[in-house]
Amino acid sequence: MKSSWMQRISLLAIAALLLAVSVTQAAGVTLQITANAVKGGKNTQDAEWIETVIPEFEREMKAQGQDVRVQFLPAGIQDEDYKARLALDIKGGGGPDVIAFDHFWVPEFAEAKFLMPIDNYLKAWPEWGQYFDSMKAMGSFRGKTYLIMGGTDVRMIYYNKELFKKAGIPVPWQPKDWNELLAACRIIKQKLPGVTPIQLNAGVEMGEATSMQGFYMALQATGGWIYNWDTGKWIVKSPGLLDALNLYKAIYVDEKLGDAMLQVSPKARDKSFALYQAEKIAMYIEGTWMWSSVIAPSGAWGIPDRDARIGWAAFPGSGKPGAPPIASVSGGTGWVINPNTKHPDLAFRLLAKLNSAQARIDYWLKKPGIPPRKDLADAPEVKANPFISETTKRLVPYTTYRPGSPLYPEVSYQVQLMTERVVTGQMTPEQALDAYAKAVAGIAGDANVEIAK
Amino acid sequence: MRMQYDNPILSRRAAAVFALPTLVFIGVFLAFPALWAIYIGLTNLRLTGISAIQPRFVGFANFVSILRDSFFHNSLRITAQFVLGSALIGQLLLGLLLAVLLYNVKGPINDIVSSIVILAWIIPEVVVAYLWVAFLDYDFGLLNATRNLLGMPAVNWFFSHPVLSIIIFNTWRGTAFSMLLMGAALQTIPPSFLETADVIGASEWRKFRDIMLPLIRPHIITNAVLITIWTFNVFGPFLLTGGGPAFATDLVSIYTYRNAFKYFKLGYGSAISTIILAINLILASVYMKLARRGRA
Repeated sequence: MKSSWMQRISLLAIAALLLAVSVTQAAGVTLQITANAVKGGKNTQDAEWIETVIPEFEREMKAQGQDVRVQFLPAGIQDEDYKARLALDIKGGGGPDVIAFDHFWVPEFAEAKFLMPIDNYLKAWPEWGQYFDSMKAMGSFRGKTYLIMGGTDVRMIYYNKELFKKAGIPVPWQPKDWNELLAACRIIKQKLPGVTPIQLNAGVEMGEATSMQGFYMALQATGGWIYNWDTGKWIVKSPGLLDALNLYKAIYVDEKLGDAMLQVSPKARDKSFALYQAEKIAMYIEGTWMWSSVIAPSGAWGIPDRDARIGWAAFPGSGKPGAPPIASVSGGTGWVINPNTKHPDLAFRLLAKLNSAQARIDYWLKKPGIPPRKDLADAPEVKANPFISETTKRLVPYTTYRPGSPLYPEVSYQVQLMTERVVTGQMTPEQALDAYAKAVAGIAGDANVEIAK
Repeated sequence: MRMQYDNPILSRRAAAVFALPTLVFIGVFLAFPALWAIYIGLTNLRLTGISAIQPRFVGFANFVSILRDSFFHNSLRITAQFVLGSALIGQLLLGLLLAVLLYNVKGPINDIVSSIVILAWIIPEVVVAYLWVAFLDYDFGLLNATRNLLGMPAVNWFFSHPVLSIIIFNTWRGTAFSMLLMGAALQTIPPSFLETADVIGASEWRKFRDIMLPLIRPHIITNAVLITIWTFNVFGPFLLTGGGPAFATDLVSIYTYRNAFKYFKLGYGSAISTIILAINLILASVYMKLARRGRA
């Protein structure tokens, strides 16, 4: 008797469970959206914003008779790991429907057919006309559009005004060339023991942040670049490449104005943000993101009185003849659709919602960046923000973008490796550049590399 | 010598039928992936880009460039230090020492010591790694905090002594297994041997060298085979150092991971795995030979 009771109860339980599962499945469609953002952690502003967009979208769909549930999958990991996760998910035939995506990953993913082209949808989307051509280009590869840009950025030096004042350097501060930059570093090193003067990203641990915020800034400041836009070849040797490496050597090896140990530590980037927040680093070269997310009062490494305490200066040219007065590099992130999605139409509607004029303003208010579209750039809130309007005016004329080649990430890794070899003292700048030239020739082929005078 | 089954319980055919499911499983989940990995190693397959959908057969090009890659040489050298330091000197010797010391100790001390050692072994790897980071970290680690209290300068252990740090970590982590295995081996020694030695008045050292060691020799070799292969393939130190600083702890397992899943070179990564497999087979066969000689 007893066992039959048990059987009945368990049968009932199983039936109830099956019913519950089928009911939830019957209740319309579920879309998944992901971003490398998590509430209270990395990119917390993005996570908060997504969680406000989702219920609005669900309501709007319901009003149109569509029962859609959107599930947000947060992440707070290194960008390289996030990218690897997406590639593995999509290659495996799954993955979230709508994905926050760095624009420079587009070529290699598009080539592997890991992204859904959205041109047909964009034709019927009235807001697409608002986007600047340069932003449309950043989301496309070989004539097809895959990504809608959420925002772009510029790079600069964030300096701690209080530390500068303590060291006796007048603020506001703007170095004219590398000599003035290094002079300020030396004063801080001498006057403020325990404070690292400068953080110029180096090494493979920091990943793309080393290339973007570190080496390319130094390289742009010499007037050089890693890629010849006219010939379509990779520049593997040039006086600029060597000058940029020598700046690293001056900072990390010769004068110890930066912390070489930190560059190659695990989680170096998070640690460096924490040190900057704790006022153990005086100058940090980073993108708009640093200001609007990392050290924003609400940010993961927030500085409550950021506006008063932190100043920004343009990264100066090297000072050699032919070098530009200012250097900056731009990137940016946006949204893509997974080609494995079972509901491409709905996925695009979610994508359009995320990029609607109102959603863009809401996002911008949480995390100000350089607007990718006209209506946002003209919005009174945006125009009233001194940080965005000034950095846009001063730095955008000098900024540059990464080459949109599927080979780029491999070359970028070699850039990171080259800086690591110099800052750890394993190689001289000349040796590191030789090794770089060899490696890039191996990646792109001897015919696709060149030496610039 | 081969055993003769004059009266088998099952007919040859029935035995084959019973073994079939296992063979199918091994084939599907072990042999096929291994062969597939060897095949992938002969292509330029990548996780993204054009070679993700149209991989080319490149023959032994991957193998040639791996054998020429200075990072591979570096990782082999570090792995050799790591195996020697943490598996053979660390886990094996320390485990044997603990087992011998605890052999005559009964009661609470034995229980406490073995519990602590085994605890280190059963805690999940990620937790252990976190504990060691919390202990050794330069900025907030317990060890440096203690040194500061005592007026000693803080040391960046992972930076100044990277290989030593992961050797100590892995020794701490894996000694329990050797201790248990060696302890069990010691239990197989007939107590009368040691009692007789006591009667003669043999020293502890002589008892160890002339009675214990020869009797547990096969067990030591088995243990050495197992922990060498495990240590050769261990990935846990990645959680401590990420293979850095500047590739100073870039074990072959981490080197493989970097190439396959950080640089997305799946073909190249598979070729490294094939080379590692070959190295493991060589290691195992060397030990097998030793073990056979030990028994003869």
